[in-house]
This record gives sequence, structure tokens and C-alpha cells, in this order.
Amino acid sequence: MAYTDIPVEIKFGIKKTDKEILKKWYHLMALGRALDNRAPNYLKQAIGWSYHAPYAGHDGIQLAIGQVFDKKTDHLYPYYRDLLTTLSAGLTAEEIIYNGISKDTDVAGGGRHMSNHFAKPEFNIHNVSSCTGNHTLHATGTGRAFNRYKQNGVVISSQGESSTSEGYVFEAINGASNEKLPVVFVFQDNGYGISVPKKDQTANRKAANNYSGLKNLRIIHCNGKDVFDSMNAMSEAKAWAIENQMPVIVHANCVRLHSHSNSDKHELYRDDNELQYTREYDPLAKFQRLLTRYNRLSEEEIAEIDEEVKAEVKAAHKKGLAAPDPSPDSIFDFVIAEPYVSEKYPDGTHQLEGEKKKLIEGINDTLKAEFRHNPDTYIWGQDIANKEKGGIFNVSKGMQQEFGVGRVFNAPIAEDFIMGTANGMSRFSDKIRLVVEGAEFADYFWPAMEQFVETTHDYWRSKGQFSPNITVRLASGGYIGGGLYHSQNIEAALTSLPGCRIVYPSFADDAAGLLRTSMRSRGLTVFMEPKALYQAPIAATPVPDDFEVPFGKARTRREGKDLSVFTYGNTTHMCLEAANKLAKEKNFDIEVIDLRSLLPLDEEAILSSVKKTGKALIVHEDKVFAGFGGEVASTINEKAFEYLDGPVRRIGSTFTPVGFNRILEKAILPNAEKIEKAMIDLIAY
Amino acid sequence: MKKIGLFYSFKTNKTALIAKKIAENFDKKEIDSIDAEEVTEDMFTAYDNLILGCPTWFDGELPNYWDEFVPAIEDLDLKGKKIAIYGNGDQKGYPENFCDAVGLMAGILEKQGAEIVGFTSADGYTFESSSALRNDKFCGLALDFENQAKQNNKRVEDWCTQLKKEFN
Repeated sequence: MAYTDIPVEIKFGIKKTDKEILKKWYHLMALGRALDNRAPNYLKQAIGWSYHAPYAGHDGIQLAIGQVFDKKTDHLYPYYRDLLTTLSAGLTAEEIIYNGISKDTDVAGGGRHMSNHFAKPEFNIHNVSSCTGNHTLHATGTGRAFNRYKQNGVVISSQGESSTSEGYVFEAINGASNEKLPVVFVFQDNGYGISVPKKDQTANRKAANNYSGLKNLRIIHCNGKDVFDSMNAMSEAKAWAIENQMPVIVHANCVRLHSHSNSDKHELYRDDNELQYTREYDPLAKFQRLLTRYNRLSEEEIAEIDEEVKAEVKAAHKKGLAAPDPSPDSIFDFVIAEPYVSEKYPDGTHQLEGEKKKLIEGINDTLKAEFRHNPDTYIWGQDIANKEKGGIFNVSKGMQQEFGVGRVFNAPIAEDFIMGTANGMSRFSDKIRLVVEGAEFADYFWPAMEQFVETTHDYWRSKGQFSPNITVRLASGGYIGGGLYHSQNIEAALTSLPGCRIVYPSFADDAAGLLRTSMRSRGLTVFMEPKALYQAPIAATPVPDDFEVPFGKARTRREGKDLSVFTYGNTTHMCLEAANKLAKEKNFDIEVIDLRSLLPLDEEAILSSVKKTGKALIVHEDKVFAGFGGEVASTINEKAFEYLDGPVRRIGSTFTPVGFNRILEKAILPNAEKIEKAMIDLIAY
Repeated sequence: MKKIGLFYSFKTNKTALIAKKIAENFDKKEIDSIDAEEVTEDMFTAYDNLILGCPTWFDGELPNYWDEFVPAIEDLDLKGKKIAIYGNGDQKGYPENFCDAVGLMAGILEKQGAEIVGFTSADGYTFESSSALRNDKFCGLALDFENQAKQNNKRVEDWCTQLKKEFN
């Protein structure tokens, strides 16, 4: 059970806190409120800040989060209402405005992300998604890095109470509890998720108490409207998390003085009485009353600070308006970090002959070699390591024994957690290289999609300040009699997302070379493993120990002049089988190109081959309709149309799920027979 | 019985209504009504018998006028003072913190040496948790306008009768 009854040490109070500290706090609170109040004016004047979620009413807890945060040792994940949090943590007034009006000088990411998403990666104040609460998983991931690298600090994640209804928030806190990580999760509870009251979110008004059954977790409730209660709670939470190496939830009760954002109108769902008493509980007004009641600051001293704030905001406003806008020419900058460049194998081919390795051996050997090469590598996933078992297909067999449980470890059955904590752990240091088995099968990766989408955005959104350096391994495809949930190919969905690379090898050597390049590169790479080929002799090849395959380099597996076939994964072998058969039987000379890498795509190899043969057949295991082949076909039509002597044809699965019964599976998936027929038809065209 | 200081916010509705009912149960000379919004240390310590109106706000907080007076209380010597606290809560709407403010205030005052009187039975209430609960009794009078308004008069009368016996 969570620790809920430990008293909080009272370090701060209106009578005991140093006057200079009180002045500093009042200055920050007045400055924050001035910016918060001013923000809607920018929209009214059509300057920007079209999304503004006012923080007024959260003043106590936001001041406290920022004040306990130390950029030298801690990491902070604020949410879209955290203006004062970030100001208190070290952002300047002009940096708040740069973000608000989306200037190139915005330290969060040069105006690329939505306004009110304040961040400063340089200070470890992270640029987070708009998916509310999604950064809790990142916080847990960073907490894991703190654990592995013995960082003497704390990770602080902040969110509204409504976002705790999201399943991934449970995954994050459960994970931090299970792994005993120094993470403070702050719930800023203002009673509403936009217009949805707490009672429609969860049965427990104190959402933090939903977590009271978790072990290794402390829960602290505080009054987020009160500066001192918030400061005491946050100081205690940070100290306790570090000392005990366990997570803490701080549940701060706040009020929301205004509407959710400037697109909301709270008068539609809050009555006059509520609005009235909410105003009476304005935390800034309360702090002012305390300062004067207990003679800590005089009216004159407060007025003096108010004047300073006015001048400061005016100056920041001027700087904001004068700051440059982002250039439209910059949109292609920072889509994904530059990959590792192979000097020895620039085109990703080799001449090694001799003993062949199976595809599974190529992957396993490369994983181990890279773990030996780089001590900052980690791998986790479901079933990844337990005694002699290493991965659902034993791809990671022997790794935990060699590299230890700190670097090779199991994850809970929570795909979003696997992906999200990889994102967060990667944020700790650019030198870290992570490999995750995204799911037991690619079919189960869908729950991780929100974190995957988020991760594809990070490099661009932060204007190159953060690159998630992650390889996502996914056992993909069918031909194993696996039915609807052990046969899926999901690459068509993933390739629609800028910010990642997708590779899909067919042979052991390419698998080894692409994996090595993925693990040495910065950026996010999805490494699709055709599981039907793990043990297949047909996919076995000699594999040089240091083999590397660059991204975006297709490999011609069979040269020809009558027809170009573009394929990848399982179907590469079927295409080769069909091409070889037709060479013998009909003297056809068919070129088979294994794309290997879908994103980036080797357009040069595709167009060059089409220009030579004049005919193109695209073959993949995934469905033809909306499959990746459509992109290849369009590329050929747009850029090599005049070279074509026939229609670009596609072969793939039917537009149905993959049936479990082998008869159904055979009818649905492509095979050498179907490919051979298409080849004959197209050559005859 | 020494004179009673009845402290409550004059801006309130329900808390003020109960204050008036309480006052009616005492002789006018026995009780002074004081606006808690304006309370000072001198006003507070002028009485040896005090009744405080202390409604619970939000998810278990003191109202601002009491909360902002707490730093002053923390410097007071309240030995010899007998203090009774009543408060309004909502058993159904806020069952996790029913009349918490009564318990919070009691704890703060006890630290300064005050004796809390006017404990009442928790029988007849249905809620999940309350900071006002000490074993099976509330450390004051718990009222619920939202769900048990009809019982208010009787509960107030019984409590005042009890206080007459327990006060200095």
C-alpha cells in the first residue's frame, strides 16, 4: 500500500520564511499572473497565442514546482497550463512570450509547437506533447535513467487531475512504483477537464487516492492555492523521492479562475455562485493578504514589485514583437536526426562467403556486439529476459546473462509504457541508445501508437534539441498460421509519420547491418523482423561481423531487364523464387530489388531500375489497398511515367484480416504462385 | 459558565444560519457573535469558551478566513480554553472528506493547548472518511444541509445542551 500518513515537514510559513524569499515569490507570482492575464490580448490583436490555458488559481503549486526544481540535477515535464511553473523554474518573461506568439526565438522549439507549451530543453524543462498526461511515461523513463546513472535528483511531472483518467498515466505510476524511481507526479486538481467535472472522470474526488494500492509510492495532498502548503509538499516530495528512491504523487487542490482556454466559455457550465467563490479563493490575493497581515511586506513594497513587473512585462512584450518569425524554408529542418554513416559498407553490400547465419542469429549476434561496443545501450520488452528465455522468439537469448538485468530487462504487458519510457530515458542523455521490443508481435503495437506518434514529433518539435535515439524491434507479418493478431504488417501506418525510419530486411546479413546502423544512429528507427524467416534457411546468409547497411539503400537481389520487382520482408523470397522459375521456364529476365528500407526510400534505385526495364511490379505482404506499395507506385508514376511500358502493378494481401485457418491464410496472403502470375501478365502487357 | 465567543463568517449562509440557531440556545448575555473574517489574536483570546463555525471547503480544506488566521493561532497559548467546533459538510457529494475542516481546526487548536469539547456521535451519518473523526466520534458537531437538513435543529439543540455542561 502507498505511504499516505507520513506527516509533511513544515519548512515554510508566512512567519518563518525569509523576507527576500517572500519577495522573490511574490515577484514571480505577480509576473506570472501579468503574463497570464495579458496572453488573451495577443489573440485579440491577431498577433498569436491562439491557445492559452490560463493557470490562475494554480499559483501556489506552480510556484512550488518551479522553486524546488534544480536544473543542474532535476528534469521537469510541465503541461500546457504550467506558465508559472516554468517561469518559477527559470524561464524568462520574454521566453514565455516567444513561445506564446510562436517566434523563432522560442526556446521550446522555435514556434513549432503549440503556444502555451512552455519548455527549455537546455534546462531539462522538457518540450511535451499536447496529449494530456502522456509525458508521465517520459518522466518514468527519465527516472529509470536516474536510477541507472545514479543521478542525485528528481524527475517532476505535472498534469491536470482529469488526465489521470488516461490509462498511460496508470502505466507510468505503476512502472515508477515497480522500478522504485525518483519521480514526483504532480496532479493539479482544478475540478475540471475542460467542462467535464471530476465526478464524470472518476468515482474518487481525490484522484491520487486511486493509486493508494500501489507499493513503493507516497501520496501527499496539499492546497495548491496556498504557497506555503504547496512549498512544504513539494519540498517534502522531492527530498523523500531522492532519499527513498521511490515515486511520490502530490495532489494539489486548485481552482480554475477562468475558462479552460480561450476556446472555452466556462459560464456555460459554471454558475454564478461557483464563479464567485472561485474568485474569492484566488491564491495570489490570498498570498498578498498574508504578506500584509503578518507584516512581511508592506503595501508599498508590494506596489513597488507590481511596478517592476509592469516594466518587465512591457520590455518582454517589446522583445517579443521584435523577435523574428520562423522561416518557411526551415520546415524540413530537424525532421529526424542524421543517421550513422557507414564508411566500410557505404552501399550496404558485402562479398563475404562461407558459413551462413540464420536471420535470428544475425539479429542476436548484432545486438550482443553492439551492447559490447556501447555501454550506454539498453533493451527491454515483454518476455525479453527470464533465465534461458530471451524474447518471445528468443531473439535476445543470452543477453541478460552477459549484460545484466540493469541493461536487459522485462517490461510489463503495457506497450505504451515500453515506448513511452524509451522516449523518457532517451531524454536523459544523447549518448544513450535504446532498443525496445515494442510488443510481443507487431499486431500488439497499436496501444503504443500514441507514444510512437509523440516520439516521431520530438526532434522536429524541439527544433533539434532532443532526438529520441530508439530502435523499435517488431516481429511482423504472417505465414505462421497466426491469425488476425499474429500476422499483421503495420508498416503502412508507420510510414505515414515523418520523424522515424522504417526498415524491413529479408535476409540475415541485411538484418544485422540495418540493426547495427539503427543502434548507432540518432533518431527513431522501426526495425521490422519478418518472424516467419527467423529460422528459415532461405533467409540465412554469411554475415560479416561488422556489417552495416545504410538507411535508404535498396539491394538488388537479382538483376534483370524485362521487369522490375520491388519488395521487402517475407515476399522478397517469393519474388526471387518466382523470378528464378520464370527464368528457367520462360527465359524471363526479372530484376528483384529488396527495398530493405521503406523510410527513407531508395527512390534512385527504384527509378533507375524502372528506366531500365520499363515495367514495375510491387510486392508486399501487407494489404494492397492503402499498403506501402501505393507510395512506391505513385513515385514511379510521378517520376518515371514516360519510361513505363505497362501499368504499375501491385501484389499483396486481400483487403481482409488474415484468417487463422491455413486455407484462409493462403487465400489472403500473397505467395510465389500469385506473384508469378502477375509477373507473366505484366511482361506480356 | 463563562462567556462564549461564537466565531463564524458573517458572509456565509449556512454557517451563519447555524450560528444563529446556536445563539438562540444560549442566553444573549452568555454569547457574543464575532465575524471570523475580521478575527484578531486579541479577539480570539478574549474568551475562555469558544464556538467556531468551520465549514469544509473544496476537498477538505479550511475556509480562507480560518486558514489565514492559522499562523496567528500557532503563536497563541490556548491552555485553559475550551473550544467547540461545528461545520457543514456533504456526506454524499464529498464523502472522502466529510467535515474535515472541523478535524483540521481541532488539531491546530489542540497543539496550542486548547481543549476541544462538544464531541458528538458519528451514528446516523454515512461517509467514507473524515478528519473530524476520533475513534467513533466527531470532535465537534457535523452538519449536512445537503442530505440531512431536517436533523439540523435537533442536532444543534442537543449539542448546545452538551456544551453548557462541558464549557468552563
